[in-house]
Amino acid sequence: MSLIVVLLLTLLTTSLAAFATRWLGLWTQRAVETVHLSGITIALVITGAIIGRVLQHETLFAVGRWLFVDALGAIFLGLVVVVGFLAGVYSVGYIRYDLIKGEITPTVLSTYYGFFSLFMFAMCCAVLSNNLVMMWVSIEATTLSSVFLVGIYGRRTSLEAAWKYIVICTVGVALGLYGTVLVFANANAVMARPGDAILWTEVMGHAKSLDPATISMAFVFVLVGFGTKVGLFPMHTWLPDAHSEAPSPASALLSAALLNCALLVIIRHAAIVSQTVGPEFPRRLLMIFGALSVGVATLFIAVERDVKRLLAYSSVENMGLITLGFGLGGPIGVAAALLHAINHSLAKTMLFCGSGNIVVKYGTRDLRVVKGMLRLAPLSGVMLLVGFLAMGGIPPFNVFVSEFLTVTAGVKAGYAWLMVVCLIFLTIVLASFVRVISGSILGPAPAGVARGDPSALTLAPLAVLLGLMLLIGLHVPGPVVQLISDATATVLATPAAMAASKGP
Amino acid sequence: MNGTNLVNSLAGLLILTSLLVIETRRPSRAALLYAVQSSVLVTIFVVLAYLTHSTQLYLWAASSFVTKVVLVPVILFGALRKFDTMVPLPSLMRVAVVVALAAVLVMGCSLIVAPLKLPAAAEFRPALTVSLAHFFLGITCIVTQRNIIKQIFGYCLMENGSHLTLALLANQAPELVEIGISTDAIFAVVIFTVLVRRIQHKLHSLDSDQLMTLKG
Repeated sequence: MSLIVVLLLTLLTTSLAAFATRWLGLWTQRAVETVHLSGITIALVITGAIIGRVLQHETLFAVGRWLFVDALGAIFLGLVVVVGFLAGVYSVGYIRYDLIKGEITPTVLSTYYGFFSLFMFAMCCAVLSNNLVMMWVSIEATTLSSVFLVGIYGRRTSLEAAWKYIVICTVGVALGLYGTVLVFANANAVMARPGDAILWTEVMGHAKSLDPATISMAFVFVLVGFGTKVGLFPMHTWLPDAHSEAPSPASALLSAALLNCALLVIIRHAAIVSQTVGPEFPRRLLMIFGALSVGVATLFIAVERDVKRLLAYSSVENMGLITLGFGLGGPIGVAAALLHAINHSLAKTMLFCGSGNIVVKYGTRDLRVVKGMLRLAPLSGVMLLVGFLAMGGIPPFNVFVSEFLTVTAGVKAGYAWLMVVCLIFLTIVLASFVRVISGSILGPAPAGVARGDPSALTLAPLAVLLGLMLLIGLHVPGPVVQLISDATATVLATPAAMAASKGP
Repeated sequence: MNGTNLVNSLAGLLILTSLLVIETRRPSRAALLYAVQSSVLVTIFVVLAYLTHSTQLYLWAASSFVTKVVLVPVILFGALRKFDTMVPLPSLMRVAVVVALAAVLVMGCSLIVAPLKLPAAAEFRPALTVSLAHFFLGITCIVTQRNIIKQIFGYCLMENGSHLTLALLANQAPELVEIGISTDAIFAVVIFTVLVRRIQHKLHSLDSDQLMTLKG
């Protein structure tokens, strides 16, 4: 059996087993945590094996070529599973506090972990899909499987966030279906077999013979539709609500994994349309949406006082920056965008989990109430301090490298003025993060809040993430460089990459 | 009337039935009208299958009958019937405005469809226009209705529109693709109804204006 299928079955089985533990009475908590941790660990190991094969310049196919992993897919699969694993470990520590505080019951615990793995399963399907319509089905499934994670606390605000999330995203993603169907219909008209016209790898091979007007229209639908799920302005309105109302590890999964999955679908369609009508058309659209997202999100970051909403707007800003990188195009622009996708995911998982520690300690997300985190919970405080600086783009951490690369790509592509504007926005973001550090992490601790860090399970994932961020900041590891280089060739559809992606 | 005209006319009937779904006050009646609309959709699938000699489309018609004419209306009827007695919430638009908007949508969508080169659907271009307009009518329902139950029906209408587009443009796609899309739609309806019940339980209201605490 293919490794891809084993990975998907592992996550699906973990999900079903987690749901089933609700009937174990007193054993529920222990059983569901064991199932959850075993499942995500096995998934991590299998993903490692899959990426190992891709690093040997192999494209893996499964289920009649409906599923596949190339270098581009491997990066996003790696992000989903690594973020899922670390946020999954963090969940065990974090959700126990919710259980103690009575925020959730043991039955809800099973539901949480069940949907957690189901959500990961849907995201893996999305990044592994070679079938254009199943890509859409999987992205829609990511919404459906994560709605209850957003609304799990059952509060008025969490139900509101869940409702907005499902309504806005189903409408948005449905627009994406139109784009997908137009691509299939057009490919079907020029290709011999309908079964092939639905496969991305095959459509890429025939992209030059597709109808420019139809494919351009299709890309507009795809960009607006899936862009809603990426959180691009002006379709981003669901994102701050959903990210802030979900439990912190689920917020990490939404921000650091889900947004990338939808972006991957856009990038795969952009690669097709670049072949059909030339790269200028998709690049211009990606740049407009990307730059607007960076600009608008920065303004919200500057005034936001809820730590999780602030991080959510930072996700809009960073997804905008990644989209802008793809829009700038060329080998440096695409490589910068891919590296920034990795860097943002690591940093944002770390910060969302860190914000979970703030909620555990203070019982609020309001930065006007949170004071003196460093004195109250020193390890969490230090890691949050460093995490915010890193996310703000301070060297020697990873985000600096990819932001620098993006700006370089912009200047090289002749958009120096736009890069100056972007740098101003990035400076405002950094200043806003410094304000969070000085106002909430440094300073005297308030009276009446118990001292001491939360449990080791809520600290270890943060430390691992910080280590990875420093590692990439100092020296991007060889395998990551190779994946980014191969994925860049795929996005730019170089002849070598096209030949490598041909299936059996 | 030949087959092509029949498909295009039935597609027009979809718009009419969706206006009824949007404007009907009682959720249980809206569920029944939705079943009627889905029957029209299934009839279109059958006629299309007959005209194009597509075995695939007969399968689509069968699965759509099960999911859209039976399953989804039953789920909606069962879950939403208890809200029949609630005082109806006003729409943000009058009936006449919604009807006029539907006409504008059809005209606008014909402009979108005009430049597309789609040999598979060349003779069904009016139906394709209507399917897209129907989709946008679903979105209009979601945006203009204050009652969140109506927003579920908006989603269902939107889904029927996209399903017709799929049948016109992608009827040669593997059956599994259609099953995937239908499965998503059923789960979406189930999740929508569960959320509506939770919101009603917590807020004692189905007014979307009550869901404005967060800033977006």
